[in-house]
Amino acid sequence: MKKIIFILLIALTGLGAIAQFKTGTLQAAGLTCAMCTKAINETLKDLTFIKTVKADIKNSQFIIDFKEGTTVDPDALKRAVEDAGFSVAKLKLSLSFKNVQVDNDSHIKMGDKTYHFLDVRSQLLNGEKTITFVDKNFVLAREFKKYAGKTLMSCVQSGKAESCCTKEGITGNTRIYHVTI
Amino acid sequence: MISILIFVLPAFQVFAQPAVGQQAYEISLPDINGKVQHLSDQQGKMVLIDFWASWCGPCRRSNPELLKLYSQYRDKGFEIFGVSIDDQKDAWKKAIAKDRISWKQVIETGGWDAPVAVQWKIEQIPSSFLIDQQGKVIAIDPSKEQIENYLKSGLK
Repeated sequence: MKKIIFILLIALTGLGAIAQFKTGTLQAAGLTCAMCTKAINETLKDLTFIKTVKADIKNSQFIIDFKEGTTVDPDALKRAVEDAGFSVAKLKLSLSFKNVQVDNDSHIKMGDKTYHFLDVRSQLLNGEKTITFVDKNFVLAREFKKYAGKTLMSCVQSGKAESCCTKEGITGNTRIYHVTI
Repeated sequence: MISILIFVLPAFQVFAQPAVGQQAYEISLPDINGKVQHLSDQQGKMVLIDFWASWCGPCRRSNPELLKLYSQYRDKGFEIFGVSIDDQKDAWKKAIAKDRISWKQVIETGGWDAPVAVQWKIEQIPSSFLIDQQGKVIAIDPSKEQIENYLKSGLK
């Protein structure tokens, strides 16, 4: 009986299903105040999955609302920041989890993306949580170095499935986002 | 041919920043009390048009310096015409109170897409234009020292 309920639960929630990205915060680094330039606002607003971009002066960051029913592409976000002449210093996205088990230094597929959690304790994620992207060029160089040191897997350097990951059955070259909580 | 050019050119100029030597565009926007202020009403004064927003760090940091300049030269024929592109009027009002802004201050919500920001082709803030007593632009994004020099030689 327990088993049936379990299977039902999985069927209802979808395998470790992840819902929508809802909001995010973005810090951009550069020589001038990123929020104070039109360019970055334009390149961000041009992304089809972004609904609104607001400035949060207290934390000198952008607050981003995503459009419902669209696929959020963190790489496109990063490109938009770079196209405006800045670099990403911090990117945090909040999303709702439904019974997602995450373990330190391991890969997990959620939605259409594959993630590699670093510097986390094993936990079952439920409800709205914020994940921080720690891939190269998604954080300051020294931050990246810190997180890259938390794994021996080579995918952290390229952001793609290397031999470390294909062993686990992940297709070679699959984009792997390195994140922490 | 020339007459066609004369008609076409102004249409293009609408979305160009007024250059040094050109006449500033008229700005007619509401102040904190909802009363419409016209830039042209300041003719006869040297005016610093200051585009800003409450969430713009560098703008906020320059406000104390502007305040000093303003207190020193306001009676001698200097005015500051602040134009905020804040989306939230409350945030704008709070910033005015906090930074003790006493100069002319108007707003057009809409951020970078606010018509005034589009017409003046504002790409970043702070952006400022110093205009003379006839409304001609004499400097774009001048430093505080430059403003002071212009005021010393222009206000007699």
